[in-house]
Amino acid sequence: MKLRKDEVVWLLIFIAPAICLFFLFFILPILFLFVTSFTNWDGIGAEFVGLENYSKLLNKKSFIRAITNNLYWCVTAALITVPLALIVALLLAHRSRGWKVFRTVLFIPQVVSSAAIAMLWAAMFNAEYGLVNFLLEIIGFSDFEKYNWLGNVRTANAALIGFSLCYVGYFMVIMLAKTAGISDDYYDAANIDGATQFQKDVYITAPLIKSTFFLCIILAVIFNLRQFEYVYLMTAGGPANKTQVLVVYIWNELSVQRLGRGNAAGVIMICIGAALLLILRKLLKSETYN
Amino acid sequence: MKRDLSINFYSIFKWVILISFVLYAVFPFLWLILASLKTNAELLDDPFALPEVFQFKNYADAMEAAGLGQLIINSLVISTSATFLNILFSSMCAFAIARHTFWGKNVLFLMITAGILVPLNALIIPYFAIINFLNLYDTRLGLILVYCAVGLPVSTFILTEFFKSIPKEIEEASFLDGCNFVSRYFKIMLPLAIPGLATAGTFQFILCWNEFIYAMLLTSSTEIRTIQFGISYFTNQFFSDYVGMFAAVVISILPSITVFILFQERVITGLTAGSVKG
Repeated sequence: MKLRKDEVVWLLIFIAPAICLFFLFFILPILFLFVTSFTNWDGIGAEFVGLENYSKLLNKKSFIRAITNNLYWCVTAALITVPLALIVALLLAHRSRGWKVFRTVLFIPQVVSSAAIAMLWAAMFNAEYGLVNFLLEIIGFSDFEKYNWLGNVRTANAALIGFSLCYVGYFMVIMLAKTAGISDDYYDAANIDGATQFQKDVYITAPLIKSTFFLCIILAVIFNLRQFEYVYLMTAGGPANKTQVLVVYIWNELSVQRLGRGNAAGVIMICIGAALLLILRKLLKSETYN
Repeated sequence: MKRDLSINFYSIFKWVILISFVLYAVFPFLWLILASLKTNAELLDDPFALPEVFQFKNYADAMEAAGLGQLIINSLVISTSATFLNILFSSMCAFAIARHTFWGKNVLFLMITAGILVPLNALIIPYFAIINFLNLYDTRLGLILVYCAVGLPVSTFILTEFFKSIPKEIEEASFLDGCNFVSRYFKIMLPLAIPGLATAGTFQFILCWNEFIYAMLLTSSTEIRTIQFGISYFTNQFFSDYVGMFAAVVISILPSITVFILFQERVITGLTAGSVKG
């Protein structure tokens, strides 16, 4: 729509709040992050130290562990959670009776806060009263009595990853919505050819929602890169830094006032995010338009 | 005959998978509610048995012990104001972008929506510094501004797409009738965009209510603190009132589940409209 001259002012007034907020909480912090990552800023004074923060971080075992753990979260989400979500979405795509109930119920963990989920699952894994040990005992694994899943170096990461499967519902809903747009003609043709339901799912529905499947992988990677609450509340990065992730690492730097160092870790995190996005786009784009 | 059998196997497989995922997603919550109604001794004795008497007083105790009443009020005030401001600002911006042509419009839209992809948790230290610089540390306004900004990319994206889908003729007619810019927005577009506003608003409210890291980062006193940060008080390792913790968690998750159940169609359409295109 063409604007009258006097309306240009109004247009500026309308976009001003969004631009101000965006500048204040997106652009400014990112610039600030980059600039201070080259200093030894501790909240009071700051001196330029070049790449010292970066070299210190990259030589630190616990920081490398945080990066690999983050990647570990991303890879499991992409290779386990999203494919499982695809299976559930394919099954619900039949739209047999009660599919909406399943959709709603499976989505519930997504609308509950991460802090509450973290506390709930920490209780599930608790050695004294947790339900996980109790159920294992019922089905006959008696060695798990009083076993501390989150406190043990060997099982802490596996337990964290295991519970994160409860987020299958989110990706499932996205893929399920895509199946609604598939024309019935495909299925009619398949019926005439005598295809079974399984064949229809695998050879018709799955290929047609491929692009959404890839989108879900990208989303899963982004979410898992920035996750904080689960690790912070369930293990605080322990035992022995075994479950450390980047945001918890940054938080710890903040709490000892090594702000420059923490920001260098933030820069590395943003770069990893950008690199992952670029790699995924490249990998998945060539797939999508095949 | 053989074919019938295979159909049956497949549908058995289907129901087994679906029901096991539902159990995985929901069973912990059911246990949470059950455990919140026991005594601590009953919980340690047998985590799964029904309590002898339902201990509804756990809820009253938890409210008392952690001062949850105040925290709920704080969360409600902060979430509703942040949602209101977020929807106001992002709908104004979306109206300008979707219904007008001006220099730099596409760049503006791309830049704001690219914000969805920024891992914002990497920026906690700059946020801390900015809020301190603005003298907003430990104030409700500080959190409201941050929440409003964090949700801006998603809301602007959803609302721009929605405004674009409203037929141009309606606005052109009002333009000829002499409606100016502001009244076109308030009198014509906003009433037509109510479904879109509801979608974006539901998202934003759930985001604000559930937010944890900025609440922990930017507040310190109990008068300001939100409920999500408040319940983490129960994770203190010397704290042994487990049933109180369960009750507090139940209280903290009820509002977002209620909002979701009420607006679930909106949440699901918004989620898919927002993500399938992006």
